[in-house]
Amino acid sequence: MIARRSLTLHLMAWALGALLIVWGGFVVLGYRTGIHEADELTDGHLASVAMLQLSEYGSQFAAREPITGTPVFSSLKSHEYQRSMSVVVWDGTGRILMRTGEAPEVPFKQDEGFETLQLGNPATAWRAFSRWDGPRHERKVAVLLDATERDDLAQDIAEQLVEPGFWLLPVVALVLGLAIHRGLRPLYELSRDVDALDIAKMSPLRNRYEQKEFRAVVESINTLAGRYHAVLARERELSNELAHELRTPLASITLQARALRLVEQGPEREVLLQQLERDALRSGHVLSDLLALARASRTDMADARQALDLDEIARQEVASFGQTAHQSGHELALVSPGAFELMGHPVLLGLVIRNLVENALSHTPVGTQVEVQLDPQQRWLQVCDTAIHPTPTPLQPMPVGARLHEAAADASLGLGWGLGHRVVEKIAQIHGARFEKIAAPPGFTSCFRLSFAPRSALKRYA
Amino acid sequence: MRVLVVEDDEGIAAGLQVHLRQLGWAVDVTDGVASAWHALCAEPFDVVLLDLGLRDGDGAEVLHQLRRAPAGRLPDSATPVLIMTARDQVTSRIQSLDTGADDYVTKPFDPDELAARIRALRRRAVGRAQPLLVCGALQIDPAARSVRLAGQPVELSAREFGILMALVEVRPRVLSRSQIEAKLYNWDNALESNAVEVHVHRLRKKLGDGVVRTMRGVGYFVPEDAA
Repeated sequence: MIARRSLTLHLMAWALGALLIVWGGFVVLGYRTGIHEADELTDGHLASVAMLQLSEYGSQFAAREPITGTPVFSSLKSHEYQRSMSVVVWDGTGRILMRTGEAPEVPFKQDEGFETLQLGNPATAWRAFSRWDGPRHERKVAVLLDATERDDLAQDIAEQLVEPGFWLLPVVALVLGLAIHRGLRPLYELSRDVDALDIAKMSPLRNRYEQKEFRAVVESINTLAGRYHAVLARERELSNELAHELRTPLASITLQARALRLVEQGPEREVLLQQLERDALRSGHVLSDLLALARASRTDMADARQALDLDEIARQEVASFGQTAHQSGHELALVSPGAFELMGHPVLLGLVIRNLVENALSHTPVGTQVEVQLDPQQRWLQVCDTAIHPTPTPLQPMPVGARLHEAAADASLGLGWGLGHRVVEKIAQIHGARFEKIAAPPGFTSCFRLSFAPRSALKRYA
Repeated sequence: MRVLVVEDDEGIAAGLQVHLRQLGWAVDVTDGVASAWHALCAEPFDVVLLDLGLRDGDGAEVLHQLRRAPAGRLPDSATPVLIMTARDQVTSRIQSLDTGADDYVTKPFDPDELAARIRALRRRAVGRAQPLLVCGALQIDPAARSVRLAGQPVELSAREFGILMALVEVRPRVLSRSQIEAKLYNWDNALESNAVEVHVHRLRKKLGDGVVRTMRGVGYFVPEDAA
């Protein structure tokens, strides 16, 4: 058995994967932005302190002793982000006027601005900002910050930026899962409806889906279900017809045989024997047509087509029913203007004509006119009759006391309409033809037509 | 017993007629939906054997209409119906039984089995479970068509047996002469004006006066404490 994968899990996996990628991108970007902004912030602080020093004292700086760096008292630290900066003040010649903080001695240079210096022994990185007091270059101030301290600050700020992202990720994933589950609800409903679809009862999918994406699916499923149901119905119908055609004569034979045991020699016994013979023949006919139906169902029939004249076949078949029609009191005729060329199977087409004629003779009363008509131009063959066919009548109560006895049913030597026509349908299908009941032409009451493909389609068929 | 056979196949209808008449039952045959309905509206039947695939429609329509008929008049909506058809699918059986059929046989069937089913239907219709009818010293076996009185076999003709069965099945109800005739004779039988009286007279000679009683001006009956 194939392990079924969950579409919900599949979707969630993809959505969470995409979310992780985007989330990861934001985290990396946030981290780098944090580092960058922290650096900028630190540089800003360095510049601010330098400006503060210069604006506070201007040219009032005087050299003082000692000029070695003074330690920063840790007790003076009052904020987490407070950094330990060092300040060096030179005069125009490079003499140190003041030096505070823990930074090692800084070499005097004429340049000003930001730079990262390697100071001390062993050398450590210091971020420095130096600036002259003005165009006269009387004083120069340098503000320094330990690069490690600066990086710690940047790291801390970046982490503060990124941290909420890690906390929020599971929450977002959970919400996303719920949203996917809720969003797929129409699909679950469709899936349940399809699962509960009972084709045998032909209850189509309810059209309750608002989503336009489902419309085509629902329509397709309903169309397929309809077709399947139609096939089932046809199979059931065929099965009923086969059962009726086979079981009825067998039941009759059984009853005739039993009755023969009970009836003495005489006319009644003779009638029973004749009926027995008719039923046996009828069963034989049914079996012949069942075999024909089975043969017509074979797929290799397309390989045995040949050019033939339907007019000639019709003449032979109609002629073979001459005696039968005479005995049953029917008027049988053929109306054909001449040759009717066709690619097909002569045996099967003969069977078609035989079935249609046999049906017409068997199921119409004495005196009925049965006519086989051919039209090579329009490319059809039809069998029409003049019988008044019974139609279902509404059931109405009848006055009490009426004594009824319907006339005995006429003997039926051939197939019932159903199975005979099924054989014709199958053969028509093999020949690319259409079999249907059509409106009877003037003078007739019933007509069945076999319409072949036009000549232009013959080459394709051949 | 009066049986209506609704069957459009001449062979089956003729065979059934011979077989069922041999059992002493009155058998009438119709071959379509409309004629069956007319027959049911015209006469009371004890059992209907109904084919489904009739030439002018589906026999199920007759069954459906019969079960919906108002009570107390013809057609009798309580008439037992046995479906005999070539349709052997379970769905068809279920549908027929749900529509109101009392039994269902598939063609081809054994004639003896069919007769046994008809007898069972009749038993159920008159509210009897036992296959043997016992009425005092009188014992009737409908399947064997035999009668014993105080343990001794009594030879009865088909008509005498039919009258006795008709009266015993509904005892102690009184049946009129025409009701007895309706159970004994089909449409083809020529009725004589005193046929029932003659058969009752013979029955009394064979069974004694205590079994079949006369209610003057009404008809005949078998008392609960007969014989």
